[in-house]
Amino acid sequence: MPQESMRAEAAGEQRREQETQAAGSGAAREQAGEQIDVLDAVLDDIETTLETNAEEYVSSFVQKGGE
Amino acid sequence: MPQLRDSGTRDLTHREPVPAAELDGFARIFGLETEYGVSVTGAGRPVDAGRVAMEMFRPVVSRSRSTNAYLPNGSRLYLDVGSHPEYATAEARDPSTALAQDLAGERIMARLAQGAQDRLRGELGERARIHVFKNNADSAGHSFGCHENYLVRRIVPLPLIEAQLLPFLVTRQLYTGAGRLADGGYQITQRADFLDEAVSSATTRARPMVNTRDEPHADPEAFRRLHVIIGDSNRSQWATWMKLATTHLVLCAIEDAVRRDVPCGAEGLALADPAAANRAVSRFLDDPAAPLALADGGAMSALAMQRRYLDLAGAFAASHPEAVPAGPDVLGEWSCALDALESGDWDVLADRVDWAAKRRLLAAYRRRHPEASDARLEALELDYHDIANGRAYAALLAHGGMRRLADGAIAAQAVQDPPSDTRAALRGAFVRQATQAGARFSCDWTTLRLLEPVAAEATLLDPFSTAADGAYARLMRAL
Repeated sequence: MPQESMRAEAAGEQRREQETQAAGSGAAREQAGEQIDVLDAVLDDIETTLETNAEEYVSSFVQKGGE
Repeated sequence: MPQLRDSGTRDLTHREPVPAAELDGFARIFGLETEYGVSVTGAGRPVDAGRVAMEMFRPVVSRSRSTNAYLPNGSRLYLDVGSHPEYATAEARDPSTALAQDLAGERIMARLAQGAQDRLRGELGERARIHVFKNNADSAGHSFGCHENYLVRRIVPLPLIEAQLLPFLVTRQLYTGAGRLADGGYQITQRADFLDEAVSSATTRARPMVNTRDEPHADPEAFRRLHVIIGDSNRSQWATWMKLATTHLVLCAIEDAVRRDVPCGAEGLALADPAAANRAVSRFLDDPAAPLALADGGAMSALAMQRRYLDLAGAFAASHPEAVPAGPDVLGEWSCALDALESGDWDVLADRVDWAAKRRLLAAYRRRHPEASDARLEALELDYHDIANGRAYAALLAHGGMRRLADGAIAAQAVQDPPSDTRAALRGAFVRQATQAGARFSCDWTTLRLLEPVAAEATLLDPFSTAADGAYARLMRAL
């Protein structure tokens, strides 16, 4: 989805700029970039498996309190 | 009104012989008890949590004729009040062993859920899915817990634990909290809004933060069992480990100071209102510098309070390096975490602190799906805690987004084998052999009972001891 990846790219770019200003070091930029890659991979993974019925997933979880 | 049930503090000069050889040092027994939540989706109708939990426990009940069973790895499986499957780790001497046992518990629960799912699909349809949540709140405002157990030397009076440990427990949530979407914002703990009262020995009615129980889990003359209720269930292995390791060092510092009759460094940190402080810490993201009112009239931020505890733990560790747990550099990790919290860069902590991991994931999801509904975000948050059918945490781990302290092999081994250096080794061996022999038996934490083919019994009073006495040897021979 080009629009989403562009948005993610823009967000990533913005983060990277902020990191540069804050830390001024290549390591910080790299870490932020790596984080974005990891998150993209994770979101890709869960995209299809995340409960299609979010309402049911949340509302079906009801129990009495524990100890 | 909190009642303190206490069978008395042990005098420092008490000289009767005690079974636990470890009384004089800083050795400790650790335990983690986790109540899990269960639900079913995809069945086309609501399914009662109690029903699901009973189905999960079917193989347990058929083997042990009880919803309370001890396993060959020395741990306990239990179907709790409110139908929460509960797993209590076998006694561990260090946080790494306790972590491995806790991970074993997740695998055991996931396996039970898979079995129940397979069996229930005949009735509920092929799309039914059982979810098992390692968290602390359902969607109707009910709360349940992850409790820690620490054996503490009885020379430390109960009021001292309340005054000196409780502020640490409240503020450690800065890095041990599992977090929760709440009221349009984000809290860093799951349970703060559900807890009240400071220290009490009642558990089911009131909602205490710390209990001490003098159940006979160890020599009652030497140790008391500290039962800590103020703590979230953690998916993060780092958080589980740090929760245990940092608390251990603070307890060591308190014990050491009592032994030497000197201040430990936590004097003056007692909170004026622990429950209010707990709620304030949970809202850390709204106001990181929020002052917590102290009992003596001053105030201190949660971060400043944690720095004080890090200092006193560091001072203790410098003079007692042998008491520092093996594994990650606890003091270095602790210091790093506080630095990151101070800097306001929460994402730095996202690979080890559960609330930061979830928050980062939710933010990333929102960037990709700006139209996402509240329900969808809550579902993502819940998925993180779903050890049966969740994907989010597993994906984070697989892609290197979460720190791993124990690999799969260690967790798999802990499913089978008890810790080798505590009485769990004796209990585990008994349970394994008795099960294999088809014998009828029962256990609790301190007693092993053979019922059939013969009646025999052994008592394991000292949790540190792996020594098989005559009664134990006779018991094992009878199998």
